[in-house]
Amino acid sequence: MTKISRRSFNALVGAAGALSLAGGLSACSSGPRVVVVGGGFGGATAAKYLKRYDPSLDVTLIDAQASHFTCPFSNTVLVGMNDMAYIERKFDKLNTMHGVKVFTDMVTAIDPATKVVKTAGGKTFEYDRLIVSPGIDFKWNAIEGYDEAASNVMPHAWKAGPQTVLLKKQLEAMPNGGLVVIAPPGNPFRCPPGPYERASLIAGYLKKHKPKSKLLILDAKDAFAKDKLFKEGWEKMYDDIIEWVPAAKNGKVTKVNAKDGTVETDFEKFKPAVANIIPPQTAGQIAITAGLADKSGFCPVDPNTFESTLAKNIHVIGDAAIAGDMPKSGYSASSQAKVCAAAIIALFKGEKPLPLSAINTCYSLVAPDYGISVAAVFAVKDGKIASIPNSGGVSPMGANYQFRKKEADFAVGWYQSICQDSWA
Amino acid sequence: MRGFPVTPVLRLAFGLALAPLALVGTAHAADQVAVMADACSGCHGTDGHSVGGMPAFSGKKADELKKVLHDFKSGAREATVMDRIAKAYSVEQLDAIADYFASRKK
Repeated sequence: MTKISRRSFNALVGAAGALSLAGGLSACSSGPRVVVVGGGFGGATAAKYLKRYDPSLDVTLIDAQASHFTCPFSNTVLVGMNDMAYIERKFDKLNTMHGVKVFTDMVTAIDPATKVVKTAGGKTFEYDRLIVSPGIDFKWNAIEGYDEAASNVMPHAWKAGPQTVLLKKQLEAMPNGGLVVIAPPGNPFRCPPGPYERASLIAGYLKKHKPKSKLLILDAKDAFAKDKLFKEGWEKMYDDIIEWVPAAKNGKVTKVNAKDGTVETDFEKFKPAVANIIPPQTAGQIAITAGLADKSGFCPVDPNTFESTLAKNIHVIGDAAIAGDMPKSGYSASSQAKVCAAAIIALFKGEKPLPLSAINTCYSLVAPDYGISVAAVFAVKDGKIASIPNSGGVSPMGANYQFRKKEADFAVGWYQSICQDSWA
Repeated sequence: MRGFPVTPVLRLAFGLALAPLALVGTAHAADQVAVMADACSGCHGTDGHSVGGMPAFSGKKADELKKVLHDFKSGAREATVMDRIAKAYSVEQLDAIADYFASRKK
């Protein structure tokens, strides 16, 4: 997202520019200072649980936006199941209920030597420990022609907000009989089942409102998260709408042209009515700027504390971190945040940090009444975060309607709970 | 990870002693059981206070929670996802998680 589109979006939804929530319960915070960069699932949960585990800590959360639009459930917004307000999370309860100081500002620099964070608004924040939870940014031009400007024509919608609104409008405006292309990236990327949930819900929308239309998934991979389950659902419900083209069948998009609206693989050229290009990703820009990422574009961390292996006293959590078997999901970020919060408190006390115990549970909607899930529990093995054997995994194949409906209901319950647990 | 001490009453008292008045009942020490159990709160709400369609733990007795978790682990109880999750923990760990949530403020 460009700064301009962010600003105009803020203006659109009426969110104020500079805002700080620095009063509230924070008066009793005389302990060590923790600054948290980013108010998504990772950052918000970290700030809340730091105060929960040790109310004496002085905790500050800084996010560039006045509120956070979650990627989970943003696919339901695209097809009109929910509105933007449904996925908007505000930071006020972190302050009023938990005593976190909240600032709306963009962190532009981190100095590990002096332990200072600087912002675009000209503020400086000193920390004893820093948590960086910036989510992702995009590798512009990794797909030829797909730069930030092109994303305003062919939205990625892989950060929720104005991009979500843009893609929704394009879907509404496309003609019956038009082609939708979704182009998911290769691994690793944010929310591995996300593109396929999106394809499912959009196919459901097309089936109902524009039944002559087609949806083509041009994939950079040959396999994807929950793929057997998605394909089972697609065969039942969207057989004449969705076509998935794997990399092995030249599905990978190599070039786009935002001017004439074309999308190309090595062998074919398409002119879709709607092109949803999800480009390859890196850790959020501030993590790159601060030198926290390695050659992969993501951030190596200690598996028990999430402290950067490249910078002392700085912890990286969520999508930006290299976290072994843990997928880049909101639940992972939130679970990592709790482990990280506990570790930071132990480190302040000079104690040995506890071993990691974390969970990922993630639901996808194949239709509004058809949910599927993946779950795993994690511990550290041989220095890496690993799923615990003989547990976890995906929903069963061949389950009946009641089972899928129950998981769809749990998907909504999941969303309500994790938003409460992270921001309230 | 087996056999860590399970002393919910003492732990709760410790948490209360650390907390300033305004936050009594929400704060608690970040020990191994808390870190393990708090991972559940993403689905079941902070302290098990689910706000949506996920089962809540608040008001449940420890023994009741233990039986449910044991049955998820053994497969005796039908589940959509909890069977997959419960299998990752030892019986002792499941018991500690149950004691933790039963000891939290209702």
